[in-house]
This record gives sequence, C-alpha cells and structure tokens, in this order.
Amino acid sequence: MNNVIYILVQIVVILAVAPLVNGINRKVKALSQKRKGAPPWQMYFDLYKLLKKNAVVSDVSSWIFKAAPYIVFATALAGALLVPVSSKLAGSQIPGDFILLIYTLVLGRFFMMAAALDTGSTFGGMGSSREAMISSLIEPSILVSLFTLGLIARSFSLPEIMMSVQNNGIPLSNPVYIMVFLAMVIVLIAETCRIPVDDPSTHLELTMIHEAMILEYSGRHLAFMEYGAAVKQLIFMTLLVNIFLPTDQLINFSGLLAVLLSLILYVIKIIIVAIVIAMIEIKTVKLKLFSIPNLAALAFILAFIGVLQYFILGGGYA
Amino acid sequence: MILVLTSDNAIFFYISWEVMSLLSYFLVVFESEKNESQRAGKLYIIMTHLATAFILVGFMIIYSYTKSFALGSAAAIIPDSIKNIVFVMFLIGFGTKAGIIPLHIWLPSAHPAAPSNISALMSGIMIKTAIYGLIRFIPGCLGVEHSWWGITILALGIVSAVLGVAYALIEHNIKRLLAFSSVENIGIILIGLGISFIALAQNNQLVSSLALTAALLHTFNHALFKGGLFLGAGSIQYATHTRDIEKLGGLIRKMPLTALFVLCFSLAISAIVPFNGFISEWLTFQSLYAFMINGGAGLNILFILAVAALGLVGALAAACFVKLFGFSFLGLSRSEQALRAKEVPLSMNVAMGILSLLCLLFGLFPLVTLSLIDSVIVSLGSSSIFGTLRGGFLIAYYPLEAAGNRISPLVFVFFLIIFIVLILLAARVVGGKYLERRYGTWDCGFEALNPRMQYSATGFAKPIKIVFRILFKPTRQVVMEGDSIYHPKAIQYTTSYTSIFVKYLYHPIISVVKDFAKITKFKIQTGSIHSYLLYIFIAVMAMMLYNRFL
Repeated sequence: MNNVIYILVQIVVILAVAPLVNGINRKVKALSQKRKGAPPWQMYFDLYKLLKKNAVVSDVSSWIFKAAPYIVFATALAGALLVPVSSKLAGSQIPGDFILLIYTLVLGRFFMMAAALDTGSTFGGMGSSREAMISSLIEPSILVSLFTLGLIARSFSLPEIMMSVQNNGIPLSNPVYIMVFLAMVIVLIAETCRIPVDDPSTHLELTMIHEAMILEYSGRHLAFMEYGAAVKQLIFMTLLVNIFLPTDQLINFSGLLAVLLSLILYVIKIIIVAIVIAMIEIKTVKLKLFSIPNLAALAFILAFIGVLQYFILGGGYA
Repeated sequence: MILVLTSDNAIFFYISWEVMSLLSYFLVVFESEKNESQRAGKLYIIMTHLATAFILVGFMIIYSYTKSFALGSAAAIIPDSIKNIVFVMFLIGFGTKAGIIPLHIWLPSAHPAAPSNISALMSGIMIKTAIYGLIRFIPGCLGVEHSWWGITILALGIVSAVLGVAYALIEHNIKRLLAFSSVENIGIILIGLGISFIALAQNNQLVSSLALTAALLHTFNHALFKGGLFLGAGSIQYATHTRDIEKLGGLIRKMPLTALFVLCFSLAISAIVPFNGFISEWLTFQSLYAFMINGGAGLNILFILAVAALGLVGALAAACFVKLFGFSFLGLSRSEQALRAKEVPLSMNVAMGILSLLCLLFGLFPLVTLSLIDSVIVSLGSSSIFGTLRGGFLIAYYPLEAAGNRISPLVFVFFLIIFIVLILLAARVVGGKYLERRYGTWDCGFEALNPRMQYSATGFAKPIKIVFRILFKPTRQVVMEGDSIYHPKAIQYTTSYTSIFVKYLYHPIISVVKDFAKITKFKIQTGSIHSYLLYIFIAVMAMMLYNRFL
C-alpha cells in the first residue's frame, strides 16, 4: 500500500510540476527582455493542443520513429520513480540506484537519437551527432558526482543519499558538497539542453541540438517528446534540490500534513532553481559547439576535486 | 578451443593453445584470394606467435622451479622476483590474444577478414580464452600477492576500454567497428579482473569475488551479444554485399527481423537496461564501490578514474551503436545494393533471434547466470558471494543485491510497460483517435529529399573525433576544382586518421628490427663460404671451452 501511494504521489507531482518549470523559465526570460511573455502554465495548454492534433509522420520513417516518443516518455517516468520528490514518503522504495537511473535515461536517449536518424533528414543526424558528443562528455561527471555522494552516504540508493544528507546539517557548508554541487549544476544545464550548451528556443536549425532531433515530430508524438524532456529536466532538478538543499529535516512530525508541507517546500525549491537557471540563461551566451568540451571538463574537474576532498577530509562535517 | 579450456597440464594446454591459434589462422585466410585476408592473416600469425612465445617462457620458468607441468599452485615454491617476471610474461602473452591496447593491432584486421560466423566465434569465444588463461594461471598458479599486478591490469583495462570504443566510433566498416568494440569490452572485463586481483592481494575476499563475478559475467554476456552482432553484420553483408556503413541505410524496411535483433544486441552492448550488458556493468560499478568504501586514498583515485572511464565508455558505446544501427537500418538507402536488399533466410534469423532472446532473458533474470558463475568462483577457491546477491529466479520483487545496493530489472520493465500502456490510454482519452498523415521529410524547401542529403556516419562521428583528436591525429584533404575557391565546381574531401600505436610504438620497433636485419645481412651473412666455416669453427671452440671450464 505504501508503495502504491509513493508511486502515485511521485508520478502526479512530477507530471504536474514538469511543464511548470519550462513555463517559469520562459516567463522570466520574457520579463528580462521587457516582454510580457506567456503565462507560466502555457505548456499545459500546448501539450493539450498537441495531443488533439493529427500527427504528420515522414514517409521515410519506420516503427522506431513512432515508438520513440512513448519510450522516451516512459523511461523518463520510470526514472522519476527512483528520485523521491519528498523523503517523507520514501520509507518504501522501488529497488534501484542511481546507476539504474542513468542507464534508464540512456535507453530513452538511445531511441531519441535513433529516431532522429530515422527520417533521413539532415538536421536529425546533426542533432543526434551533437547529442552523442555532449552526453558522452558529461556522463563521467554525473557518475563521479553521484559516486561521491554514494560513498558519503554508504549507499547508491537516492532516497538513502537524501536521508543521510538530511541528518548531517547543511551540506553546502562542506567543501565536498560544494564541488559536487557545482558539477551537478553544469550537468543539469548540459543534460537539459539549456544555454550555454544548447538553446531551447532557437529557430535556426543549424544551431539546434535537442530541437533538431525532434524536428520532424508533430501532434501527440511531439507532445510526448517534449513532456519527456520536461520530466527528465525535473529529475535532475529534483536531484539537485533534494540532495543539496534538503528541507525535510525541518518537519519533525509525520503524517499527511508532513508530506503536504514537504511537497510544498519541494515545489518552492524547484521554482527557485527554475528562476536561477533562467537567470544563468539570460546572463550567458551559447557556447561554440567545440567549447562545450571545456565546460564538460570543468564539470569533471569539479566532481573530481569533490571526490578527492572526500578522500582527504572524509564525509563528516567540519 | 574446448581443449584449451579443459586441459590441466601445461604442455597439453600449450599444444591445444597453439592448435587453436593455428587453426584460426586458416580461418582468417579462408578467403585467401583477397589481399586483405592475407595481410590480416600474416599480422595475426606474427602477433599470436609472439604471444605464445611469452606464454611458453612463462611456463618454462614455472617448470624450472616446480619440475612439473601440472597446472597446480606453485605460489609457495617460486621466489617473489621470479613471480613478477612470470606475471609480466603471462600478461603480455594472454594480453595479446585478448587484444588489450597496445597489443590489439591484429584484432581489427583479423576479425573483418574472416567470414562472419568465424568472426563471431573468434570475438565471442577465442579472445575469452585469454581471459581464462589470466584467471587460471595468475591467481591459480602464482597467487596474487602484489597489488601492482591488479593495478597494471586495471590501468590496461581502462586504456583498452576508452581507446577501443573511441576507435570503434570512427570506424565505418561494420566488422572493424565490432572488432574495436571487442577491445573495449575486453577492457571492461579487465577492469573487473584488475579490481579482483587488487582485492585479492589485500585479502579482501568478498570484493575480489564480486569483481571476478562481474568480469566473468561480462565475458559471458559479451560472447552472447558480440556473437549476435557479428551474425547481424554477416546478414547485412549477405543481403547487400558491403560492410561499409556509408553505403547502407533504410534496411529496416527490407529486413525488419534482422533490424530488430541488431537493435537488441546494440542495446545490450551499450549496457542499457533491461538487457544483460547492464547487469555486468552494474556489478562492475558495485565492486568498485565495495572496494572504495574501505580502500586507501591512493588506490581510490585510480578507482574513481575507472568509474569515470566506465561512464565515458558507456556513453561512447551508446553513440557508437546508435551509429551502427541508425546508419545501416534507418533513413534512406545510400546505395543501389542497400536498395535491393532482401531479408535473409530464416535460418540466419533464428540464430540471431535465439541470441537476442537470451540477452533479454539474462538481463531480466540475472541470477540464472550468476548462480553458474558462482560455482566457478567457488571452484577457483574464492569465497561464494551468491548468498549476498539476494534474489529469486522468477519472483518479481526479489531484487539483485550487491554491496548493499539493489536493482530489479524485472520491476523496472514492469513499470516501463505499465507506463507505455498508460501513456497510450491517456493519449487516446485526451487526444481522441490517433490520426496520422504520411508526408515527406522536411527538405528545407528544396527539391525532393535524396540520400545524399542525409547525415553521413563520418559526419556523425566527427564532433567526437574532433574532441578526441589527440587520439586519432586526423588529417583531411580538400581538393577543389573550378575557377574560384568561392565557386567550386566539385569538391573532393578525404579524411583519414592514423593509429597512434602503429605509428609511435610499432613502426619504431619494426624499423629497429629491420635495421638490425640489414646489418646482420651485410656484416655477418656475407655469402662467402670461408667466413661461414670460420663461424662454425668459432662456435665449436666456444662450446668445447664452455664444457671444459664451466
């Protein structure tokens, strides 16, 4: 029973919050340009509209093209089960650790990259190729960062990592966490295709990465591709806020009210992070494609210094 | 090959090893009318004999101490310094056979030269006999006492894995690509083996067993999916008469079954859930973690680099196999042959079907294979860890557990299927009936889309090639024809890369050997019968003196 509630809460919260993040991001950017911008909940309408529309499918494509949106969305949701939005509910867990999470997301990415090649379009190949490069450069940083956290918590399971952080004071006062946190921010930006790595709102095919891969999609397929990307983005943000900015330890009672309170805090944290990321996007310019390796190297170095500090200082708090 | 694995006597092992190597030479040159096959065969036989020589020296050193050819433990008899020498001998000997970098150069040329079913056998099983040799002789005969043995193997594993996949990625001949990917997988196996040896040297039985399990499981899994991939490459070649990815495309419509199976193998080799490759990769991560929890700082830095390398390798392998699958099966056909391709006969598909089903089943029910591997580990004298790998065979909610971490591929797949069904339902309820319109791909408003407008496999790999240019030293040549460089009539673009190992390691050695041969040819082997008589006289005198005085 506990498990059923956990899964339901997890899925409902993730599905509800994911489009909001994109909406807030766009609103903040619009305001910074002295535009009014669409309301933050615009993406819900967009998704609904796309679901209603007929799909145009390239006559070159095969079943891979049509299956990919469902697989991308389903893997994102399955991954979301492993990253609790509130540790108050994490008493019962789905068996899985962050390695399963990463390779689940790789399954989705594999199909997305293959589907981009399926239509025979130039832009699909371009996006797919660039995605391959960026993802392989960023993968070591994710693993080393999460490995460090796993070593400190003595477990790879994400709920347990979150619990152990909560019991140990403020994580961002510890140099290990600061380094890993900074690495994870870069990972978040790269994985969710944000400026300076990729520009989600570009209209020029030549500069696209993620958008180029889903260029041929329309109708409900596009809806699921975009929703899947939003859920994946929220997974990384959840990792960030629930590990590095834990708030659940402040609620020292349990029950329904505690869960509600912790969820409200979670949503507030997510909104703050969404605004911060929008600010980063406003303040930076998109990097040249071949400058991205430098950014990835920076992320890796930060994660590596983090783990070295862990070996020297230990996981305890000064 | 079976003889190699069943012999318990060094001489018998050596003979069957040699028979295996020689027979596979004939298999490599099976299509001997081709120049390429002959070159590959020559390279193969040179490398394999070099390897055998090292193994033979290793055996002879052991014999000189134990006075027996039985493959028992000799750890107590042989002094420490000699052990180190024997270890190096075995490492070079078996390492060459396994294709670890920098001893891998025969592998990418021998595998493509052989017929596909032979390549499947060679890549799936023969290079694994070398892994068998390492496990059989190093802990079995010598005993692992020095950490640096494991560290060497681990470091070689990291290098092989990263470089193997990097070379695979820029390769466009399907079979060469698969051969480089074998180098990568041997690297992953060696990472597991290295951890196991280090842990053994530090008397950490549990971690050692866990890492050995990971290595052996990956050995087994690799045999399954790499064998399948070579069969797939064979089917593609059978249908299209080409191995060049750049000339394929769109085969999924012509050969739907082959495409499905190759997709399964590609997912498995990229260590993607829920296929078997993921389980062994996961276990490797777990053994790294289990070691690091208690390890010292110095080794931990190496181990964290192994973690990073595994991450990089995983992502690059996924990119590599997206390329293999995407460019041969998806999109528009890039050549006439690909356009005319037909599905291969049922017998070829059945073989691949069985292998891909096994890849999926062993991914979902890993404990079936793990229980077999555990009995092997116990027979090697390590402690069993099957008890800690908790789980049931068919019951869903008994996850695989290692080092305190649990995963359950079955539960994962269960959720994945439920989510897909729910998504389909939701789409139906919210969006109404699914209607689609078939229409051409967006071609920027030019004329109809043609195959040449597609991205090429070279283009796909280019960003990574540029990022890792230090490994490839790529060169390119652009020839333009026409009056002005701004309005060329035709552009010819050639790109190539050099293998840094061939250039900076093998070429110097070869030139030294050649120079030496030249010197001996002109200075010693003059062709005059008088000097030869003198040599014989000096040799006889030297021997007599040696016998008299020593």
